[in-house]
Amino acid sequence: MDPILTVKNVGKSFGGLTALKNVTMEAAKGQIIGIIGPNGAGKTTLFNCLTGLYFPSEGQIFFQEKPIVPQLSLIKSALVSRCAAVFLVLSLFWAPMFWAVLLPRTFFKVELTMLTAFILVMRWLFGRGLKHYQIWAWSVMFVLIGGDVFLALWGLFHLGSLGPFPGTEISLAYLAVPWSVAALLFNGFFFWQLLLKDVRQLFGFRVGPDRVCCFGIARTFQNNRLFLNLSVLDNVKIGSHVRFKAGLITTIFRSKSQRAEEQQIELDCLRMLRFVGLEKRAFDLAGALAYGEQRRLEIARALASNPQVLLLDEPAAGMNPRESSRLVQLIRNIRDKGITVLIIEHDMKVIMNLADVIYVLDHGEMIAEGSPKEIRANPKVIEAYLGGSLAYADA
Amino acid sequence: MKTRMSDIPRKWLYLGILILALLLPWLPLGGSSNYLLRILTTATLYMVLALGLNIVPGFNGLLDLGYVGFYGIGAYTAGLLTLHYNVSFWLIVPLAALNGAIWGILLGAPTLRLTGDYFAIVTFGFSELVVLVIRNELWLTRGPMGLPGIAPPSVFGHPLTQDWEYFYLIVFLLLVVLFVVTRLEDSRIGRAWYSIREDEIAAQCSGVNLIQYKVTAFAISAAIGGAGGAFYANWFKFIHPDMFKFWESILILCLVVFGGLGSIVGTMLGALALIPLTELLRIVLPQNLFSARYLIYGVVLVLMMRWRPDGILPFVRYQENKARRAQKRLAPAGSGE
Amino acid sequence: MEDLLGMSSLFLQQLVNGLTLGGVYALIAVGYTMVYGVIELINFAHGEIYMLGAFLAYTMVTIFGIPFFAAIPLTIMICACFGILLDFIAYRPLRRAPRLAALITAIGMSIFLQNLALLIWGGQIRSYPRAVLPKAFFQNAFVVGDITMTWLQIFILAVTVVFMFILHLIIHRTQVGTAMRAISQDKVTSALMGISVNRVISFTFAIGSAMGAMAGILVGLYYNAIFPYMGYNAGIKAFAAAVLGGIGSVPGAMLGGGVLGIAEVFGAGYLASEYRDGISYAVMILVILFKPSGLIGKPILEKV
Repeated sequence: MDPILTVKNVGKSFGGLTALKNVTMEAAKGQIIGIIGPNGAGKTTLFNCLTGLYFPSEGQIFFQEKPIVPQLSLIKSALVSRCAAVFLVLSLFWAPMFWAVLLPRTFFKVELTMLTAFILVMRWLFGRGLKHYQIWAWSVMFVLIGGDVFLALWGLFHLGSLGPFPGTEISLAYLAVPWSVAALLFNGFFFWQLLLKDVRQLFGFRVGPDRVCCFGIARTFQNNRLFLNLSVLDNVKIGSHVRFKAGLITTIFRSKSQRAEEQQIELDCLRMLRFVGLEKRAFDLAGALAYGEQRRLEIARALASNPQVLLLDEPAAGMNPRESSRLVQLIRNIRDKGITVLIIEHDMKVIMNLADVIYVLDHGEMIAEGSPKEIRANPKVIEAYLGGSLAYADA
Repeated sequence: MKTRMSDIPRKWLYLGILILALLLPWLPLGGSSNYLLRILTTATLYMVLALGLNIVPGFNGLLDLGYVGFYGIGAYTAGLLTLHYNVSFWLIVPLAALNGAIWGILLGAPTLRLTGDYFAIVTFGFSELVVLVIRNELWLTRGPMGLPGIAPPSVFGHPLTQDWEYFYLIVFLLLVVLFVVTRLEDSRIGRAWYSIREDEIAAQCSGVNLIQYKVTAFAISAAIGGAGGAFYANWFKFIHPDMFKFWESILILCLVVFGGLGSIVGTMLGALALIPLTELLRIVLPQNLFSARYLIYGVVLVLMMRWRPDGILPFVRYQENKARRAQKRLAPAGSGE
Repeated sequence: MEDLLGMSSLFLQQLVNGLTLGGVYALIAVGYTMVYGVIELINFAHGEIYMLGAFLAYTMVTIFGIPFFAAIPLTIMICACFGILLDFIAYRPLRRAPRLAALITAIGMSIFLQNLALLIWGGQIRSYPRAVLPKAFFQNAFVVGDITMTWLQIFILAVTVVFMFILHLIIHRTQVGTAMRAISQDKVTSALMGISVNRVISFTFAIGSAMGAMAGILVGLYYNAIFPYMGYNAGIKAFAAAVLGGIGSVPGAMLGGGVLGIAEVFGAGYLASEYRDGISYAVMILVILFKPSGLIGKPILEKV
């Protein structure tokens, strides 16, 4: 089975403190994976790396082959790309000036050609399932680069006929040649990079938590991070944010599609609340809920984005045995929906009952992995826990 | 069952208030009615401005100390366009709003990733720089000499001269702004903003792109400020760099804080309560010390933060009422579910 | 050749002026940065204490006839108490409140104090009459070519250095200073270790206010112009200096003050002088955008 989540040799340090070192793990679709370890072992840090809140110092993370944490060499080339981008913007201002001053006769012809090319490229890209900003970015890039290339070649061919700088005796060729060559090189490199990678990756933009949520990974937090002053239903609606797309104009004018969307959101979120058993409290403020209900609300909010992977950070913390068994049932229901679940827990009863695979972290390193039975017998694990809670875990 | 004010459907409430407002100029109040009307016009203008500012600290939880910068940009855009190109008022307001929005985006895009304190300081620096530029670039703005003689707006060719005409105009502007703000607030965008205000990290992990939404909020806030500035220029017919000092930002902030950060109605009530107070102070204080009126706003801010930091219409209460109304909408038979 | 000498002496004169101004900014900036270090609040009202120092010294010397060098310690003590009072009334009740509330309170206090001063002392600019000040101040201490340095400037520089030195001793050699440093790193643990947090914070305010008041007296002398809004102006510049050096770091504030003073004098001299104030704003914005931790400060991590 193809792994849905892959973590390869991930390390994270904060200044002098190493929180994670050489952590490798894999999650297959539909599994429940437990992550256990003493306090301070780096479990939450791992979750933060998985969701894009932290950027690992080393290693890579893939979600279904899409890199959440790409190779670091890409980040270094980002600097070059950023310089190239600045260059590109400068040419945006420079080119029209150049044309207006130096090419009075061909001025409009060049502009018209550019505009036509721009429209053609945009039309060609429209039907290809790209996002709006991507279409614009590609078209502008293409036209700018094309223009720069044209100018560079023209400059190089017409070296002799370029006049002097306005007001001086120095020939414009001294500016035109280096600029043209630089334009060709930079823009060429940029365009080539653009063909190979996503625009955002090119600029070294890290995959932030919001993009990770778009990918399909949702999470809960160790200490509840609910929107306490908002209603329970609103909390879940915000969780569903990534699935919908009402924009500024459609919102202000309440277009039909926006109203239909809002109705859909309301129905979906009420259904989600029913799934976790909170539908009676939908219109209360999140801050007014009992602690156990709040934890369930966080899970509902995470599920509202329709994730493929759900990260639960100590979901059973502070729960009594009855609540814990309800939680176990809830997580099983979640898994039955086809969602892969990763759970950080200290409550051994919950973990041993639920998990298919368990990973054990201690001081930032992975010290064991395997099925619950194997973990229980593993001497290293027992030592890390000082013979504590494992002795009390029952199947 | 007793019906509470918050249970009345919003539509009827707003319609009622609108009718009241439209009737206002015609109430027989004797000789000082024009003066009172002008105070009300000022108060309504500040309502518009406060609604604009409310979007940033109220919905998003970021302190914007440089709001007066956008107000000034809008006013000078309107003044210059009227004086040099004789552009119609109805075109000027959107243009001023657009200009405000552009500067909002330019300022916001690099700075909105900063933490709260730093963002506040940068916005403050920005508004001071705007005033400095206005004061010193005489070729553009005539600097300390101000821009006098701005033409009044015209409706269908009839230039506005009466106080009640201006009052209706600002009420109209207020309605437009209210329309935009209320639609935005109760939507996916509004919820995203609230989530940013409540907990940025949880918002991010729920898929809200912080920069996109913060910049959008900031741009809309700046646009509203610009529109307000445009009205001010064409109403007062004279603008001067001293009218756009930092204190105006604080004044507007005071209105928002007093009314309740994030509460639309509270903000408007705050303006209605505090602006006429300024007028009272104008009568009480001697001429040269009029700028000391800001003392009251300083006191109000400190006292509010100490005893009622949530304002007169707290955000929490507002969300509760909203939820209750939503519940009623879903289960009108009163099944209690 | 003469032209070069002329330019370089202008340069050096500007440098001297810049250092003087920088010293003053450093004195004020240190107050901002210390308070931010212990309670993570930008004390907007700090500029008003600076202004109060100037006004008090002026009032004492001109109205009450107190000799100048006696008025200085009196003013400093009164302002230090005032700083403690400010903390007690406005900031202590909001220790646990969200940052936004405390920030708004600080702004409110600043506006209140400014306009209170306006009401009390009126808007016109006050100056010290020549007679009450030591004559020596206005005489030149030494003249090198075209560069002059008055005794007043030497006085300012000397006071700045002495105060900075005393501050350094307090922070690094006394118990209170160590407590201040502990609180700025971890308030809760410091309290658990038995440090009386509120008292130390009051002390921080006292010291910061004392230094701000001294700066106020010095500037009142140097520019001979005292008016209620002077705190506003200088406060922003000093804050820019604190941010430049790294907010929360005392040596950073000293460095930032020096750099900003020199930058302002040079900028006003060689570039546009109307944008003199704009230089600090621009510096502040640039620093915040590109290196928020300043020249010396360290970035803070948020625990998720």
